[in-house]
Amino acid sequence: MRRIDTDLLVVGGGPAGLEAARAAAEAGIAVDLVDAGFRPGGQYWMQDPTGAPPLSAQGSKGAAAIAKAQATGVAFHSGAEVFAAFPDRRVLANAADGPIEFTPRAIIVATGAHDRAMPFPGWTLPGVMTPGAGQRLAKLGGTSAGERVVLAGSGPFLMAVAETLVKLGKPPVALIEARPTDSAIIAHLARHPGRWREAARLLAGARAIPERRSGWIVTEAIGSERVTAVRIAPVDRSGRIDRARSETIGGIDALLVGWGFRPMIELTALLRCRHEHDPALGGWHCVTDRASGRTSVEGVYAAGEVTGIAGAVPARLSGRLAGLSAAADLGADTAGDEGERASLAEQLARARAFSDGLGRLYAPPADLVTLARDDTVVCRCEEITRADIAAAFADGTDAVAGAKIWTRAGMGRCQGRICGAAVAAIAAAETGITPREAGFNPPRIPLRPVPLSVVLETTRDGQE
Amino acid sequence: MSTLVTIDLDGRAVEAEAGRPLGALLHRELNAVLRHTAKDGAPRGVFCGMGVCFDCLVRVDGREGVRACVTPIRAGMRVETVRS
Ligand code: FES
Repeated sequence: MRRIDTDLLVVGGGPAGLEAARAAAEAGIAVDLVDAGFRPGGQYWMQDPTGAPPLSAQGSKGAAAIAKAQATGVAFHSGAEVFAAFPDRRVLANAADGPIEFTPRAIIVATGAHDRAMPFPGWTLPGVMTPGAGQRLAKLGGTSAGERVVLAGSGPFLMAVAETLVKLGKPPVALIEARPTDSAIIAHLARHPGRWREAARLLAGARAIPERRSGWIVTEAIGSERVTAVRIAPVDRSGRIDRARSETIGGIDALLVGWGFRPMIELTALLRCRHEHDPALGGWHCVTDRASGRTSVEGVYAAGEVTGIAGAVPARLSGRLAGLSAAADLGADTAGDEGERASLAEQLARARAFSDGLGRLYAPPADLVTLARDDTVVCRCEEITRADIAAAFADGTDAVAGAKIWTRAGMGRCQGRICGAAVAAIAAAETGITPREAGFNPPRIPLRPVPLSVVLETTRDGQE
Repeated sequence: MSTLVTIDLDGRAVEAEAGRPLGALLHRELNAVLRHTAKDGAPRGVFCGMGVCFDCLVRVDGREGVRACVTPIRAGMRVETVRS
């Protein structure tokens, strides 16, 4: 097994991780960056895996950020998944050429987020995916999710996916946004002129979609081996669904549906950092001091989406802040940086005010949890239905962790990353507790399955 | 920049671009159905596309439970799907 002793390990190669790594390296700190992606860039700054030049402005920004980080001497480890971490800050990753053990003096966690999916009848059918999956099929695989794609759920990311599909020559046939149109979004945008250009670009992309509805929600995906139709119904401002006015959109072969994002907290949870729950920030997230990126654990910093969903701009700013403060704490000479850090903190607060507002405006509708029927599979890994989970709560279980022991929901390979939010919502609906009180599934080592040979190699080396 | 390679998909030779996610190729080649589940025999395909959900599992070069969506295409790789 390779052993890498370093000053600072940055986990995640998106905007937050890249900025953090560069800031610390510029201050003279030895930095290693480990990233699970095919190439660094993360979700916002996604790079073509074959090395083709970036097609989008975000891709070019990412290419520039990667080049800058490389120029400052950051050591990149791409295609390497972190599968274990310990309170002594040892981190194990599995790369194509075998496992790596990092023993850093400090860690910056910038692991990003994944789509928030919620169960509904038919959601396990092939062709039904998250919007993020549609984006990655297109950007990494050069493949459209389908010939006739319906895009649904809530939030501005849907429009970013629409833009990608339009570029691929496969504009979605319909965009079903749950949030009813009103003046609140316009009023929110009006307060943040710096974001007008981005908003205009996204709206222009959405114009190529023939059928656009706001205040409608997907209630069911229909098909036998692949999705072929979708049922939709109006949803009002208070989040109530009016099934009496349901309609069907047929002749489709893909449905991308998502409800914003959830912070990827498994690593900060393993490192025992403090977490909090806020629906507008994507639910459970790692708590940080915003001006320094410090978590509740000494030597562990967090930046970007893992500290609460906010988008690429706050990710970049919080990354740079975390990099600078980690460098200072590690003893780098950062005198003269105070001015820059104060200005970054101010910019971050402004950017966060914009995204927090959006997060509240695009909150998932109240009735979302009612979509799953008794026989709807909620835990996709173990194929556990809503009725199984509700029965566990009726029998006295009162938390996500309890439901796992009683029903196996969340015990499968995904460790509850996909169904966790839904199980918490079902707990809330069945027992009256809040999703916060329902808690989350603590991550288990290995975070991602690793071949037995890797486990043997890491344990054998540990005994030497 | 892109290199076309041949892989073996359930005994059939398929041409694909090296380095791109196997999951995207399988989504296209297999009409979205990558496997059937053990318990219900239900069809599954790419869902999260980022290695989180474990719905896109296939066998690669004899190894079970490989996530196609985070596996880059390599020349000569042997991919088997699990059907019930
Ligand atoms: S599609 Fe989710 S892990 Fe591959």
